[in-house]
Amino acid sequence: MGVISTDSPDSAAAATARPAMARVPLARTLVFGAVALLLFLLVVLPFGWVLNNSVHDDLTGAWTLGNYARIFQSADLLEPLFNSLLLAVATAVIAVGIGVPLAWLVSRTDLPFRRTIRVLTLTAFVTPSFIGATGWILLAAPNSGWLNALWRSLAGTEAGPLLNIYSMTGAIFICGIYTVPYSFTMVSSALDEMAVELEDAAATLGSGTLRTMLSITIPLVTPAVIASFILSFIQGLTLFGVPAFLLTPTGIPVVTTKLAEFYQLFPPEIFLAAAYCMPLLLVTAMLFWMRRRILGRKQFVTISGKSRAGRRIALGAARWPAFGAALLLPLVSVFLPYAALLLVSLTRAWGQGLSWENLSLYWYWWALFGNSETHTAIVNSLLFSTLAATLCVMLGTVVAYIVERRMVFGASLFGAVATVPIIIPGIVMSVGFFAAYTRAPLNLYGTPLLLVAAFAATFLPIAYAHGGSILKGIGPELERAARSLGAGEGRTFLSITIPLMGGGLLSGWFLVFIPIIRELSVAVFLITPKTNVMTTLIYNAKDGGNYEAVCAMSVLLLLITLALVAAAGPLTRLTTVRRTSRKTGRKSAPAEGVLPT
Amino acid sequence: MMEFSRRRLLQTGGLVGTALVTGGLAGTAFSRIAAAADDPLYAAARKEGALTLYWGSYEQQTMEAIRDAFKAKYPGIEVNLLRQASQTVYTRLRMELQSGVHECDSLGTTNLLHYTELKKIGALAPFEPVDGVHIPDAFRNLDPDKMYHVGAISLTSINYAPGKVQSPPQSWQALLEDQWQGKITTGSPAFSGDVANWVVAIRRKYGDDFLRAFGKQKPKVGQSNVDTVTDILAGERVVGSGAPFSYTLTQKAAGNPIDVVAPSDDAILNLGVTGILAKAPHPNAARLFTNFLYSTEVSMILQKNYWPTLRKDVPWAEGRSLDQLKWTRNTGDDLGPEVAEGIAKWKELVR
Repeated sequence: MGVISTDSPDSAAAATARPAMARVPLARTLVFGAVALLLFLLVVLPFGWVLNNSVHDDLTGAWTLGNYARIFQSADLLEPLFNSLLLAVATAVIAVGIGVPLAWLVSRTDLPFRRTIRVLTLTAFVTPSFIGATGWILLAAPNSGWLNALWRSLAGTEAGPLLNIYSMTGAIFICGIYTVPYSFTMVSSALDEMAVELEDAAATLGSGTLRTMLSITIPLVTPAVIASFILSFIQGLTLFGVPAFLLTPTGIPVVTTKLAEFYQLFPPEIFLAAAYCMPLLLVTAMLFWMRRRILGRKQFVTISGKSRAGRRIALGAARWPAFGAALLLPLVSVFLPYAALLLVSLTRAWGQGLSWENLSLYWYWWALFGNSETHTAIVNSLLFSTLAATLCVMLGTVVAYIVERRMVFGASLFGAVATVPIIIPGIVMSVGFFAAYTRAPLNLYGTPLLLVAAFAATFLPIAYAHGGSILKGIGPELERAARSLGAGEGRTFLSITIPLMGGGLLSGWFLVFIPIIRELSVAVFLITPKTNVMTTLIYNAKDGGNYEAVCAMSVLLLLITLALVAAAGPLTRLTTVRRTSRKTGRKSAPAEGVLPT
Repeated sequence: MMEFSRRRLLQTGGLVGTALVTGGLAGTAFSRIAAAADDPLYAAARKEGALTLYWGSYEQQTMEAIRDAFKAKYPGIEVNLLRQASQTVYTRLRMELQSGVHECDSLGTTNLLHYTELKKIGALAPFEPVDGVHIPDAFRNLDPDKMYHVGAISLTSINYAPGKVQSPPQSWQALLEDQWQGKITTGSPAFSGDVANWVVAIRRKYGDDFLRAFGKQKPKVGQSNVDTVTDILAGERVVGSGAPFSYTLTQKAAGNPIDVVAPSDDAILNLGVTGILAKAPHPNAARLFTNFLYSTEVSMILQKNYWPTLRKDVPWAEGRSLDQLKWTRNTGDDLGPEVAEGIAKWKELVR
């Protein structure tokens, strides 16, 4: 992705005479052309195949609208749609309801151990939700769950179960807590980037901490809140592992488990599956339309080239109680389930229960050295995720910039295209990619490139939404200043906007890198023996009922990702300091306070 | 511990160690490789240099052991193993065929219908493996045209927690007794081919009344029938219906408190099938592999992993054999619609 800037004397001279927009048509055309081409290859082409599939008959291959007719005529197919909507709305409400206050506490206040809370929230993010569900099954299955056993030991053996994870409530709870990291990361990076003049003004006028938060701070980050609400909603719609584990036993079908059934049938009904995703697209489109209505033409600019103080709100006596509350999420999403997973992974045969004889590091040894496939899979996972996340963030940011600054006619179409992939469940998108890239002239089947492309495309909406919500907070004044001093669009973007986005871009990178590394379904028809990834192996182990191995590999996946995040910590600090000093124009900007400490 | 040392040897001991340990046969490794080298099929396969397996039969560990044994016996052939769930493998192969992609040499899945469909569209190549004469008689000559052969034998049975159940149910009918209400775990026919097969067999045997009564027992329905083992080991339920025979025995051997019952009113037997693709890029390597499946080496690996062996002359683990069991297999040409009907009835009556 090259963003080209020209600052040759000739064009600079021409710029004084003509409006800046028309200054370098060639470079502009090249950049927009490249973006458009990438969007076409990554999204339009595979999605086009999904759409095309949806209007064909699975048995005869003939053109038909029958798949759609079947969906809307059959109660069997409508019920999962409603269940999915319920799950999605509840997931989004939990994610935003917990994520936003948590982000505020970590980004804006003097909460103790802020960095720890950040890392722990990210840890929840690293966890594939089916692993989280597995952990919680061990904890809260009605008869055998450890928490229920504890409850019975207190309340008597005849007492009913305290918790039942096999329920809609259970599924909502798990989807919710593993989606909080989305809203947390998006909102906290918006808060990190926000200047504090307005908060100061409110405080000067006598507004209390809570009132300032509710009436100034949170409204200013509305774009991030809404974007994260929509993403969480989509998560709730498209997650497969959690409903498959928790809702199958209660007989509540959702869209993704129904899709899995279509694939399981003989012959597989993959065209019906494609049609079955379209209602999801419709619902999500409505959400985006509502977002436009809510945000309208309101301004959310807080970075405007004026100085900003990096002051934190003192919580006073509420500091430690707030810390306790902030620990609740890591407790339920990380500590409890991982304690369960860790215990299982450390046993030789988990059915024997805990005893010294049964304790063993065998499964870790097995995962690291005993299995010839794991090495390649770990390397592939890291390599593909890094490449895909980088491509994804670059493209997503440029698209967000083009959309936010309305740089071309029809810019919002770019945005709409960049949003589509996440709504289509991975297993269906996988078929789209397969169809698009197994034929000439673009036969990429079996190459790593195809997996990188599919991963980048799937999570492009996150990069785009995240980039957009940061850009909404950056006023165009500084960019205009650069432009009036003769910088081209490309140069302005690279030397003004990108540095201003700063740490937000890095958090955006992790926001896509992590879901990519734990993604399974979009890869399902694209991996080959040589391009196998970690998650397929974990899933195969689960499929084969090898729980100890599943747990050990999950713990390893978590540790690898956390090591990467830890390595990126100092990097975040660097970019943040650099940005602060540039923005404020002070050589020795006090880094304290703006840093995610 | 056995597994540990075998793996170590595979890595460090190289060819000699591998062939010795996995083979477990009389005669030296060298003489066998020498014998293999005289084989014209091996020579042709070696010229092709590679083999791509799309397999859903057997879990990852057993499949990798088979692959490693093949590589040890036939050096010079690179083996690419794609191991995914049977239906996933098949869906992919179908899409590949539609796109004119020919990657797969040997297909091995747990659904006979895959092969009848592939045969119909001319996507399979006939081959008669020499060592096929050792296959148990009941499963020889699966296809008169030799387009496909047995690749795996899988049994569906009852499993239970020995510590918590004094006398486990000895038959499918016994599962309907009051004492098992709220105690049973099973898989879903919509997700698991084995459970779907069980539903078909049970309906043939006892009709929909069985399903109705079974539903009243309030079983916990997971996805795969592997989940029955998980539920029993966790203590969530104590008896599993439609449970995997081999896998339960593997877990028992690993030291987990679980055991199997072969029901007196027939264990349900499902055949994994294998075939060579008509447009396989490495047809000779595929033939060599198909024949290798019926070697003593492979049956020894299967025995070690508690799978029914593919040879009459190699007993199963713990001295079990097909003759000691009462079993039945769903046959017939209309199995596809029957499975769909079974799933629909299940949804109506069980949940």
